[in-house]
Amino acid sequence: MSDFFTVYHHLFNTFLLGSGYALSQWVVMRAGVFSVATAGLASIGAYCAAILTTKLGWPHPLSILAGTLLGTLTGLLLSVPLARLRGVFQAIATLAFVQIVVAVGLFSDSLTGGAIGLNAIPILVGTKENLLALLCTIYVLLAIGATRVGRAFEAIRQDEAVASSLGVSVTFHQSLAFGLSGAIAGLFGGLEAFQTFTLFPNTYGFGLIVAALSYVVLGGRRSVAGPIVGTAILLILPEVSRPLADYRNALYGVIMMLVIAFMPRGIVDTGLLYLRRRRLAAKAAAESRQ
Amino acid sequence: MSALVIKGVSKHFGGVAAVSDVNMEVPPGKVTGLIGPNGAGKTTLINLITGVLTVSEGSIHFGAQDITEVPAYKVARAGISRTFQNIRLLAEASVIDNVMIGFYRNEKTTTPASLLGLHSARRETAALRDRANKLLERFGMSKFADQEAGGLAYGHQRRVEMMRALASDPALILLDEPVAGMNDVEAGELGEIFRGLARNGMGVLLIEHNVRFVTTLCDFVYVLDSGRMIASGSPEQIVNDPAVITAYLGS
Amino acid sequence: MLAQQLLNGLVVGGVYALFALGFTLVFGIHHLMNLAHGAVFMTGAFVALYTVLAGLPLWLGFVFAILACGLLSILIEVTAFRRLRKSGEAEFGAIISTLGAELIIVTFAQIVSGSDVLRFPFETFPVEIFEFAGLRVTLLQLFMLVCSLLLMLILTYYLYRTPLGTRIRSVSGNERASVLSGVNPNTIYYQTFFLSGALAGAAGVLIGLSFNSIQFAMGEPFLLRGFVVVVLGGMGSIPGAMVAGLLLGMLQTLTAAYLPAGLTDAIIFSLLFVILLVRPYGLFGKETAGAMRAER
Repeated sequence: MSDFFTVYHHLFNTFLLGSGYALSQWVVMRAGVFSVATAGLASIGAYCAAILTTKLGWPHPLSILAGTLLGTLTGLLLSVPLARLRGVFQAIATLAFVQIVVAVGLFSDSLTGGAIGLNAIPILVGTKENLLALLCTIYVLLAIGATRVGRAFEAIRQDEAVASSLGVSVTFHQSLAFGLSGAIAGLFGGLEAFQTFTLFPNTYGFGLIVAALSYVVLGGRRSVAGPIVGTAILLILPEVSRPLADYRNALYGVIMMLVIAFMPRGIVDTGLLYLRRRRLAAKAAAESRQ
Repeated sequence: MSALVIKGVSKHFGGVAAVSDVNMEVPPGKVTGLIGPNGAGKTTLINLITGVLTVSEGSIHFGAQDITEVPAYKVARAGISRTFQNIRLLAEASVIDNVMIGFYRNEKTTTPASLLGLHSARRETAALRDRANKLLERFGMSKFADQEAGGLAYGHQRRVEMMRALASDPALILLDEPVAGMNDVEAGELGEIFRGLARNGMGVLLIEHNVRFVTTLCDFVYVLDSGRMIASGSPEQIVNDPAVITAYLGS
Repeated sequence: MLAQQLLNGLVVGGVYALFALGFTLVFGIHHLMNLAHGAVFMTGAFVALYTVLAGLPLWLGFVFAILACGLLSILIEVTAFRRLRKSGEAEFGAIISTLGAELIIVTFAQIVSGSDVLRFPFETFPVEIFEFAGLRVTLLQLFMLVCSLLLMLILTYYLYRTPLGTRIRSVSGNERASVLSGVNPNTIYYQTFFLSGALAGAAGVLIGLSFNSIQFAMGEPFLLRGFVVVVLGGMGSIPGAMVAGLLLGMLQTLTAAYLPAGLTDAIIFSLLFVILLVRPYGLFGKETAGAMRAER
């Protein structure tokens, strides 16, 4: 067992961080916002945390907290102008946001190290912290799902007009979702900063957008387990065999095309739906026998 | 209970007037009808009242509150619920979840309590689930509780939408063609429910183009044609009004 | 000097316009985004390059590139769009499935090229420099400019002056209208996707020649700039894409010439962000085109 963990230690941490980003992507979509800002928000969290510790000597938990708060704040700020826009246009605007963050990261090299990277960040975070952060995130997202805000999110995602006809403020909840997405992305960005030694602006670019989206699409957009399962599958598959690792991106591409065409709800949600229908059918059959 | 008072309301799309200079009143404890041929502007008027569309001219008051410029979710919070002409359910959600979102307006749970999953928030959710189950029972829909709303038969979907509107415990309910596509028996059953609501003090505004249904059910009827109010009065007055007959039969 | 920079900008801008035209054409018809458009563009450069490396003349490479990209684009329509067209979430689905298509095409190119940066052989395109009125223009630049303008003219003629083009425009996102008018929507889709891909392929060859550095990842920055062009011009607007393409080309060369290095991208994408907030339907788009939410 301990061997297993030394070999797969790195992969497991990648999975925990990936799950975090996937959940950040998931939570905005849960409230019906098509944002891809997660990558940019993670970048802000990571650089904020790393800079505070390497340049100002802040203790790393405080830096990570600051990164989380800055991510939250950025998410909330983004949500204000974006409330006016509809689906695809929200996606393009947040894509622009991610590109701006990358470009600014590359440009302001005195602060961020630019393309050479922000170096010599102490390695202070490991599996324990990642796991704790992921569990806390999952708890909050499950709590939302089980209470009032979750019902509002669900209503907005499915039909904004219905939601507002019942007193649900679309703007408020979408801002809230943006804030949560920023908090989660900022938190995991901050954690990542303290386990990679060097940060590059391009780590949080188009590639991370695609990764986070594909985790969520594969796993499912409704239940909290969806993005986590999606992340696990997409990270483990390339480890299974060498060719899959060489063509990792093509593999992601094929999976994205197949899932959206044949299983648009994703693996977990489709599975849950199947189980529920079977249970209902069994119940109905039992009732008709009586 | 409050009355809805609409004064001189107009709505222009570009240069075209969809509704012009409409005056009407929907008192509590009565069933008020709004009829008119297709394209008369009935649904536009509903959208103006509920804040989905903005009013070009005129004012809308609900009780003492001016709701002319108020956005949709705040109109709902003021106590006005609606159903939609083409049923709009949360198709992927279960029937009981569709009803539970109706309670949203009166929920006590705060946002932080919900985010942290506090005991109070979970307790309220459980209580609402019980209430939703009772409502399902009243409408004879208990056995569909866990089914996806989008998969229900048409008549059942209508009932879910009705339950959702009632769950929000409104002071005024706007029903946009609630019996469209139903046979007379089913329509009659729903009509009884509407009367019951009015008896309990709720204001009911019934939008229909089925004249017969409206005249048997309503206390007072307004007739809209090409965006203008062409008649109003008791059902007997309306069916004998020459302007109404012309509007319906064509000149 | 300013005039020289503007001229250089115009040359690049013409290619941006070509690229964006294909993107906006598909959006105008489907109201869906084809995120594999950058990969089609890259394929154009690859096809031309390998044709030339095989000893064939460049003009043939150009033709092959246009044909191959047109067909690739049709393949994307069939595999990534067709099933989604009738689903309720086509907007989101198309983004995911065309992203998937993009990943597949790019990986394929990466394997073929061994991840190397490839170059056209020396003097594939004759190096000649003209000077006039103090401006320096290479023959290649002239060729790029003429090519872009010519293709734009042909497209405009096709869309606005031929019966087929008129049908394409009349369908624009309205499948029922096309069925009523007796047009098989699939013919329209094949045509628009072929045109879209062909334009991207042409743009790919021109950019490949002009920078003479061809590699599998060259589509991504173009796709991102394509967004700026189509949003600035107005999503789905043909004249908008042409004007905005030229504007972006000039803006890019000017910022690169007069502002600190590395600021260009920040400015371009800030511009995109600001346009979306201030005027999401762009310079030429209609306010009602669906960029913004309903009234409340």
